[in-house]
Amino acid sequence: MTQELSSLMDGELAAGEAQRAIATCCGSEEAKVDWHLYHVIGDVMRGHSPRSLALPNDVVEALKAQPTVLAPRRLPQTTFARVAIAAAASVATVGVVGWIGTQGTREDTAPMAARSNSAIQPVANTVTLPQGAQAPDVQAYLNAHRQLPSPEQYRTVNNRAATAATR
Amino acid sequence: MIRFAAVALVACAAQAAPGEDPLAWLQRAAQAARGVSYAGTFVHTNGDHTSTVRITHAMVGNDEHERIEPLDGPAYEIVRKNDEMFCYFPDAKTVRLDRRVTARFFPTILSGTPTAVAASYEVKLGPTERVLGYECRWIRLEPRDAMRHAQSVCSEVQTGLTLRARTLNDKRQPVEHYTFTDLKIGPQVARPDMKSIFEARVKRWISDSQPREETKTVDTGWTVTNAPAGFFKVAELRRTLPGREHPVSQLIYSDGLASMSVFVEPNKPARAAEASSEDGATTFFVRPMGETLVSVLGEVPIATAQQAARSVARRP
Repeated sequence: MTQELSSLMDGELAAGEAQRAIATCCGSEEAKVDWHLYHVIGDVMRGHSPRSLALPNDVVEALKAQPTVLAPRRLPQTTFARVAIAAAASVATVGVVGWIGTQGTREDTAPMAARSNSAIQPVANTVTLPQGAQAPDVQAYLNAHRQLPSPEQYRTVNNRAATAATR
Repeated sequence: MIRFAAVALVACAAQAAPGEDPLAWLQRAAQAARGVSYAGTFVHTNGDHTSTVRITHAMVGNDEHERIEPLDGPAYEIVRKNDEMFCYFPDAKTVRLDRRVTARFFPTILSGTPTAVAASYEVKLGPTERVLGYECRWIRLEPRDAMRHAQSVCSEVQTGLTLRARTLNDKRQPVEHYTFTDLKIGPQVARPDMKSIFEARVKRWISDSQPREETKTVDTGWTVTNAPAGFFKVAELRRTLPGREHPVSQLIYSDGLASMSVFVEPNKPARAAEASSEDGATTFFVRPMGETLVSVLGEVPIATAQQAARSVARRP
């Protein structure tokens, strides 16, 4: 039956077969639902919106039975956040961005870089970093030490700016 | 005629190179960074990181005006009048009011007096070289112990302004370098040049003065009981760092030339092991102390950072 419906939809059935399939389809609620579903699926696959928003009853009922998921909405990234990231990268040109993150990747650069011990290393007589331990945020310390403006500190301020701008 | 002679004498005295006294050269270099008007671009190299900065500096009356514009990456600008710093972020439409805690921006080299520097460094005069078309005398600062790096500054003969500075590690390898790549010295540096290029737009920007509040010296309750020889505390602050829930205490120590910051904060997420890294002249050392995390960052050898970090204690 399913195969017949599918073939009918695709216009692959001869006149007599088509007549029989239509009669069968119209005589069965289950076959009507399948017929409707095949068309919806076909529409969606062709990139059209489904011709009818009405879904078969059991699908609607199943959706109703689904629990409502309440999840915190991810806040859209503000212009500031993007600027902050970019500006942090800029500040890092004065500093040591990737100092720890790029450990072991600079051995083939300048001899001076190779000599400089740029990778974070456990100091003698101390245990190694525990698995999953985060490297400390050296850039924040560096900015504070060099008294470089750290744009990341403006996030809250910029939220106000964004609010003001939309008023 | 007498008046002309007197003026000429004063002018000569102000410009004359201070003979062969290394400390006098150092003193003049320190004064020139503040008192001389200049505009130019310098390149800073630390380890394998390089950045280019445009700087304009002028004395107007007794006020020191300066505009600093990093030329790499997204635009921002620092306009300073004495210790008041205005940091402009055009993309974020934000101007931040900050306060300079210590004089740390090139060509300012010293944060202490030449006499204090001489206690930790042997100051010698090197050769005279031609740099950017100027006659320039090298001043060498050799450490008297292993707790600091050697440094050299090249002081312009007429004004004393530092044109180049370099830091050497204990193997005499250069690890940090500042050099002007173009420079104009003299009163032709006008005050309008000191204004932010964003000045006209800034009225519509958000102004944030919290950083200025954070740079006020406070009692953090922490102290370094065994500071490395020659290092003295120059500032004690409590500041907000990105990504931190709690304020971070920052104690800045300096020997008059090199400086390091000691950061104390809650040890969250908990770290168990000490760790260190070096990049160029900059050293970083982190030391967990139970529920407290001590981090030291500065232009000092690793042993200096370790000694400071390992003697952090609650102030009695």
